[in-house]
Amino acid sequence: MSAAPTLTVNGRAVALTGVPDPERLLDLLRWRLDLRGTKEGCRTGDCGACTVLVDGRPTLSCLTLAHELEGRSVETVEAIGDDPTGRAVQDAFRDAGALQCGYCTPGFVVALTGLLKELGRSAPEERFLADLGGNLCRCTGYLSIARAVRLARERAP
Amino acid sequence: MSATARPDAAEKLRGGLVYGTDLVAPRMRWGALVLAPPLAGRITGVDLTEARSLPGVVAIGAADVAGLVGGATGDAERPPFPVDAIAYPFQPVAAVAAPTLAAARAAAARVRVTVEAAPLVTDLESVFPDWPGPDARDACLAAHVRARFGDVDRLLASAETVVRETYRTPGIHQVALEPHACLAEAHGDRWIVRTSTQSPFGVREDAASILGVPETSIDVDGTWVGGGFGGKGASFLEPYALLLARAAGVPVRLALTYREEFLLGRSTLPAVIRFETGVSGGRIVARRVRLLLDVGTSLPGRDFATGYSIGFLLGPYRAPAFEVEGYAVRTHKPPFGPHRAPFAPQCAFAVESHLDEVARAAGRDPIEFRADHLWTEGDRTPLGQPIGPFGLPAAMAAARRTATAWRARCPPGHGVGVGVGFWSTGTGAGGEARLRLTPDALLIEQGEREIGSGSVLVGLAAVAERRTGLARDRIRVEYRSTATAPFDSGVFGSRTTAALGRAVDEAASALLADLARRLGSEGTVRLRGDRGEIEVVGTAARRTVRELATPAERAGPGILAVGKHYGARGTIDETRVEAGEFYPYHDFTGAAHVAQVDVDRETGAVRVERYAAFHDVGTVIDRSSALAQVEGGIVMGLGTALTEEAIWGPDGRLQNPGLLDYRIPTLLEVPPIEIELLEGYPGDGPFGAKGLGEPPIVPVPATIAAAVRDACGAHLTELPLTPERVARALKSA
Repeated sequence: MSAAPTLTVNGRAVALTGVPDPERLLDLLRWRLDLRGTKEGCRTGDCGACTVLVDGRPTLSCLTLAHELEGRSVETVEAIGDDPTGRAVQDAFRDAGALQCGYCTPGFVVALTGLLKELGRSAPEERFLADLGGNLCRCTGYLSIARAVRLARERAP
Repeated sequence: MSATARPDAAEKLRGGLVYGTDLVAPRMRWGALVLAPPLAGRITGVDLTEARSLPGVVAIGAADVAGLVGGATGDAERPPFPVDAIAYPFQPVAAVAAPTLAAARAAAARVRVTVEAAPLVTDLESVFPDWPGPDARDACLAAHVRARFGDVDRLLASAETVVRETYRTPGIHQVALEPHACLAEAHGDRWIVRTSTQSPFGVREDAASILGVPETSIDVDGTWVGGGFGGKGASFLEPYALLLARAAGVPVRLALTYREEFLLGRSTLPAVIRFETGVSGGRIVARRVRLLLDVGTSLPGRDFATGYSIGFLLGPYRAPAFEVEGYAVRTHKPPFGPHRAPFAPQCAFAVESHLDEVARAAGRDPIEFRADHLWTEGDRTPLGQPIGPFGLPAAMAAARRTATAWRARCPPGHGVGVGVGFWSTGTGAGGEARLRLTPDALLIEQGEREIGSGSVLVGLAAVAERRTGLARDRIRVEYRSTATAPFDSGVFGSRTTAALGRAVDEAASALLADLARRLGSEGTVRLRGDRGEIEVVGTAARRTVRELATPAERAGPGILAVGKHYGARGTIDETRVEAGEFYPYHDFTGAAHVAQVDVDRETGAVRVERYAAFHDVGTVIDRSSALAQVEGGIVMGLGTALTEEAIWGPDGRLQNPGLLDYRIPTLLEVPPIEIELLEGYPGDGPFGAKGLGEPPIVPVPATIAAAVRDACGAHLTELPLTPERVARALKSA
């Protein structure tokens, strides 16, 4: 029996057998794996609400096909707090009051966690803000999110 | 920085909460709307046969509604599906449910809809190219309002200076990140829907009216709401989902795509505003204001927008004589819907920009001129509504000082502007509160869900904390569906903490009075929770809640207290009203803002460099939530000011139904914002609070426009202030 194609989601192997070929990662996460912490916004790659980490990099799950991820590793907001950087980001958002309705929040938390790990906390603040420019928030006006970025950079391991 | 984290922060940060879009149920089917072609006109056929032949598919249209509701007749003027004619492009004409979303979409695509196309009218100004006459009685009108006092014609004719201007404002969308979504079930004569809404009771009332079933047969349970901003205030998808669930016999989930949000959502629509203002001796002697408001397919006699919105063109400035007239014009668009502070930012933009122009024409300093005419406490509005404690003059004075300081250090070519706006805290149909005091916690039972602002979870708890003395960590909001929740009219109108909070405050006061009696204590008692179980502390005695509760209360739900606040409506001097209904504002509040901008003279691009806001809040109930409302409202207003515009093409179709072409502000465009909350002008809310959800967006477009004019002389009379418009105005300046 040949090994079924799999990807890893939050550390667990997920078989791609039976997943229709054009299925988006977003739908795989939300409807097959019941990981609905990853939010569905525009489904056209414009809002960032569905951001997850693929091999550590912030990725729009609405524009990513599940079958393209064979052998790769996906992390979602549900597991982000298991990571010390993710935990620091969550705490920073909480302490900066950087959330209101909370719908964009998982996308921001995941994206910032990925950026901190990729760029390192000493990368210039503008770099973080520029990369988060693709995540939309309609409630906060972003200033509290920018404060959370500052706090997270101070606190990240 | 916030000392106390919001109670919903931890779950929101780990993606643990269920929003409307996250709803699922066993045996659930997926719904999809069948959209009409992008036309208007008489329906000649909706053929569901092919869709129904697909495995597991249920399809319903107008002909099926009566059977599904057991012969009941709903509101004939707004059936769930259109019977005779398509009123606007893509109007839902049928709905399907299937085992998967893909199957539902495929089935919807197989429904054949034929329409005898009529001319599509989506350009407001093409309806009345010559402005409606005073006796216009046209099928295209949904409402006509008119009020006046004083002899405006005579005063304008004799004024030293008269300025006539026309302003245009576009349609704008709410753009909550979460699309509308709900999940419905039907069992026997029960209709059950879980939905992402700003008003569970509003959905219940509306759905009952549309379906023709008793309100009590419908149970609405709110979910977490991924942003409302007015777009989730009334029923929308719920009647479709309920009918599908009835037809399918299993739960049905229905959600909009984001494209459908833009195409079908009820948003604020375009308007034309005309002013005639006369000045003599540097003072306004008469104002005439006329409004043409696109209300889409709002029903004649049911348009709320015109009589509500037009009041924002009447203030906040005094005039010895006034005439105001507004027409609600029907076009082939979805019905007008509220968008945070419905139409007030657009009105403030027009009023402020126009009065700047008037001041300049009269040779006066624009800010000083406006400050001289500002309403103050004790004044009456042009409709005779009394102005109570009103912090706007103080806010404007603070804004002027800030503007002067900024201007002194403003680089050449940059500009500083001041804008103001007022607001009337809504009460809606009122609200009721139910508190239960248990040995461990004070519970606030509510049907309203937290929509993000904090007005429910933080605001109501803060009111109870302030009244009872019990620390916030012992106070919890517990959600109930409409079957058991105390009534409340909805999270809108900046009313939640201010008006529903009054009901909570009344319930808390009743609870304390009850506890004082039980304690046998003279005077007031307070609650304390810092020594384990909650204690009731009087002047001479102290007992635990457990000790004061009866055996039944201890065994069951705790000590109960109720409160209600059905709100106050303002009064209108009806002798001044000649036609239509004006909304009676009351409990006035306001804000003055300052912006510094840089305008690129080649491209016309505007960059906002810094911003300051001074808000009359009555009383601060929770400081971090209040500041968050102001920050968020201002940035949303930057979108209204600079980029947001629904564009209908010459073919009558919406050209930009997506986030790429309908631009809302991003993290990269936000200036630093300084905020001052002004207390000391108490409102009708608990402890003198006034609403704060909507006021922050009101002055923003006006403020940016004033700053742009200060920077480069460009006087703009149309929103948004896109680079193209600014560049054009620069050329003609």
